[in-house]
Amino acid sequence: MLVLLAGIFLLHLTSIILLLVATIDNAWWMTKTMSTDVWARWILTNGTWSSNDLPSYYPQEYLQAVQASSILACIFSSLGLFVFVGQLFTLSKGQRFTFSGIFQLIACLCIMIAASIYTDIFHKKELDGWYGHSFILAWISFAFTFISSIIYFVLRKKTAN
Amino acid sequence: MLTILALASVILLGIVPQQSEGIVIYTGWERHALVGSDIRLSCSFFSWRWTSDDVTFSWSYRSDGARDAISIFHYTGGAPYVDNKGPFRDRLEFVGNPGRRDGSILLKNLDYGDNGTFTCDAKNPPDIVGRASSVRLLVFEKVPIQAGVITGSIIGAVLGLLLLIVVIYYFMRFLVARRVFNLSVSKHGKKGKGKEGSQQRQ
Repeated sequence: MLVLLAGIFLLHLTSIILLLVATIDNAWWMTKTMSTDVWARWILTNGTWSSNDLPSYYPQEYLQAVQASSILACIFSSLGLFVFVGQLFTLSKGQRFTFSGIFQLIACLCIMIAASIYTDIFHKKELDGWYGHSFILAWISFAFTFISSIIYFVLRKKTAN
Repeated sequence: MLTILALASVILLGIVPQQSEGIVIYTGWERHALVGSDIRLSCSFFSWRWTSDDVTFSWSYRSDGARDAISIFHYTGGAPYVDNKGPFRDRLEFVGNPGRRDGSILLKNLDYGDNGTFTCDAKNPPDIVGRASSVRLLVFEKVPIQAGVITGSIIGAVLGLLLLIVVIYYFMRFLVARRVFNLSVSKHGKKGKGKEGSQQRQ
């Protein structure tokens, strides 16, 4: 039982870390000399990386929606971790961890919204680049949070700690 | 305690600027406007003296590419004098109230050539020592959304909704619990009265 609990906790923690990396690290779209994310663009000139503003042709509303929903996903996932720990001590035997599951599900929805908008709106015409690791991690954390929320909805509290 | 209070008030009075400190002028920092629209550039001042009858307001304009500033507005001796030769002729109007220390001007029908820095200088004799204040005007075809406004509002709205749901949930639980408590109290009361009544009859 303890092993299962530790595993679930680690899964939740991993999803939080992946979400944070996806939101903060600047590698959503990369080329050989440029690395960009939802906040700024890094350009390699003469061997040094310099930080630049995002190009002004980025549709502002979509960009800010991506920013907002990725931040919300991080917030909800972190809150969900605290709710999970709290429910460990306050739930009675046989009950399900629904609150934690709800928080993880909302986080899953938010990061899905962020990643989908980014996939569909940005970089449609740019051919000489590829999606960076932050983008991939965003989708992976979508999968992790989804699995995590399903586990919370199914799991029942076995022993009264 | 009282001595500390007295000491603090004396120190504060010492820090607060005295009557000879000068005039402080306030304008905005930066203004955004659409092409073809009107904009009101506000200018007001703070002075320890009463507003004098000889109060003067002076606006000057320095275009983005130019090196010098030209004077476009002057208020003195109770009368405003607007630009009748320069780039703002027929487009400038005085909408301020000098009696209330307001020296604002209205620029009409803006164009891209109006980008630049507007400086307001006010004097309230004998309080004349002060620094003029400048406001930058930016004229856009389409006013850009400021970075982070939409982001912040989405996050705020969602978190606010979450908080509201949590509050409503706990409030409903509180109401239900109170209802149950009231019901159980009245039940116990009825039982007690019923027992007494049956005992009396017997």
